[in-house]
Amino acid sequence: MASQAAPGEDLPEAAGRRLSTGAWSSGLSVADFSSSLEMGMDPVGYVQGYAVMQWSWYMATGGFGAGFGGGAGFGGGWAAGPQRHGQYVEQWQCPHGFVSAEHRMYGANYELTWLEQSWATGWSLATTRMVEEATSLGATGIVGVVDSMRPLTGGAVVEFRSSGTAVAVRDAPRLTTPFSTYLSGQRLAKLIEAGFAPISVVATLSSVRMLGYCITHYQLAGSTAGTWYGSGAGGVSGVGPVDQVNRAQAAVRRLARERIRAQLGSDVLHGAHMEQSEREIGEGDLSIQCTLKGNRVRPFKDFDPLPEPLPVVRLA
Amino acid sequence: MTNAPSGDDKVPQAGQTVVPAGGPLPEGLPPDANRRLAELEDRPGHKGMFTSDLSVNEFLLIKEVGFHPLGFVMGSSIYHIGIQTRRWSQSQELSKLTGAMYEARQLAMDRMDAEATELGADGVVGVRLDVNYYEWGSDTAEFIAVGTAVKSEDGRSYRNRQGKPFTSDLSGQDFWVLMQTGHVPLGLVMGTCVYHIAHRGVGQTLRSAGRNVELPNFTQALYEARELAMTRMQDEANELGASGIVGVRLEEKTHMWGDHTIEFLSLGTAVVKSDGDHTIPQPQTIISLDG
Repeated sequence: MASQAAPGEDLPEAAGRRLSTGAWSSGLSVADFSSSLEMGMDPVGYVQGYAVMQWSWYMATGGFGAGFGGGAGFGGGWAAGPQRHGQYVEQWQCPHGFVSAEHRMYGANYELTWLEQSWATGWSLATTRMVEEATSLGATGIVGVVDSMRPLTGGAVVEFRSSGTAVAVRDAPRLTTPFSTYLSGQRLAKLIEAGFAPISVVATLSSVRMLGYCITHYQLAGSTAGTWYGSGAGGVSGVGPVDQVNRAQAAVRRLARERIRAQLGSDVLHGAHMEQSEREIGEGDLSIQCTLKGNRVRPFKDFDPLPEPLPVVRLA
Repeated sequence: MTNAPSGDDKVPQAGQTVVPAGGPLPEGLPPDANRRLAELEDRPGHKGMFTSDLSVNEFLLIKEVGFHPLGFVMGSSIYHIGIQTRRWSQSQELSKLTGAMYEARQLAMDRMDAEATELGADGVVGVRLDVNYYEWGSDTAEFIAVGTAVKSEDGRSYRNRQGKPFTSDLSGQDFWVLMQTGHVPLGLVMGTCVYHIAHRGVGQTLRSAGRNVELPNFTQALYEARELAMTRMQDEANELGASGIVGVRLEEKTHMWGDHTIEFLSLGTAVVKSDGDHTIPQPQTIISLDG
């Protein structure tokens, strides 16, 4: 199961056996199954793809500057590394001068590109394998895609999963690469009715590490005793935005949007779902991640006004 | 074990006799079950009643599609799950455990079937399969199958080619929708595979230390296990003469075996197109006025 294998050669032997048996299988609910038939899409098989990845965080939990241009220490030329590779990085410097050994004189927000690339590799391996199964079934597309990532045997190994129901569209030409979409049933029917065709699922993860400097530390600790630092010198006033955290959160969302936009080309994104999580990795230090997923769709016809909808009040 | 156990293997000793409605009670059902089922049946001098775990909406839709509930049916099996040696560094199926997990569920299902058959049912809807563990039984689990037996009101038999009532994990709503598509359920089909995932050696761990890379052996093992479970489920559907399986789901549990041994269970309802042409009603666009 090499990631460089030709399409179809990447699947386990058992997959070939399963896909060649008589009855089709479908992960669709009965309502979505019914809706698919009504749209002219016949299920041809439940398809799946997986990739187990080693997920090393050790560089991420190292000290200042770990992962920057070969792990050079903070202030020792690290800034040149990430900027040279075009990744996001920002620095902050304490306005107070030396106060104590615990005083954080420097702060930085930086992008964890090695995690982002690993996530992208795992997700695309699983998705590609699912699409390969659909291709081997002669499917036109995959509907109702479900993907996830979960830790396996402890935190150091994670598994990426993608599954969905391969469908054959009646009277449609066979596509070189089947389309894929998270949508199914009535949501897919409404999308097509609106004049958009599904192309593929798209997803990305962006990750930013925030190592707080003194001001951020005081703010996150809720300190109001910052007046002696002097607001004129960038000190703490007790109430107000935590600039370093705001900038890290904005950056992680911006990076995700930019990456998805790059995958879309001239198509559009439908049903975008953004999920952001934060994890404290030390006193005042954060790891912020953002996943953005959606359906890449392409307009294929003008929007036809729908028949007047029927208002319904549910009694249950 | 590349295929589902043969019919001889999976038929239980208890509750295996399929009897026509009105015939003698099947052997193997507990006396309490026989008494309870007898209370549900109409007979001279006794007006029967039905029990069901259907919601009111489900009850309405089951009636609308031409069935009526006969009774809540169940089957269970308390099973001692033995041990099977596994090699620390080798990914492999544990076929004895696979067989045990399959047979235990099949016993529960067959006993539920026997109760439905006793009631003269055409099928069982809303089937749930659960596994419970008790403190008093080390390595022992109770497998339970429950559902609501239903009978067609038009006199047509919906039993499958094995002469048994169809079983299905579909809700009443899903059952109604399925019938609108021109398909009928044949049976709840399942496939299982208990798989041991190899541990990584020190050398392997060191070689990939600090790198984010795919672990192809792990991927292959998990992939293989899931595919085996799904293949067995499809084999069951083929035996029933199904054209497809709807509502497939894949469950994973480690039970009492630890992180590296996982049971993959694949479940779904096998269906076949009913006789004659069928046009799916055109759905109507609605706007819900709920908040």
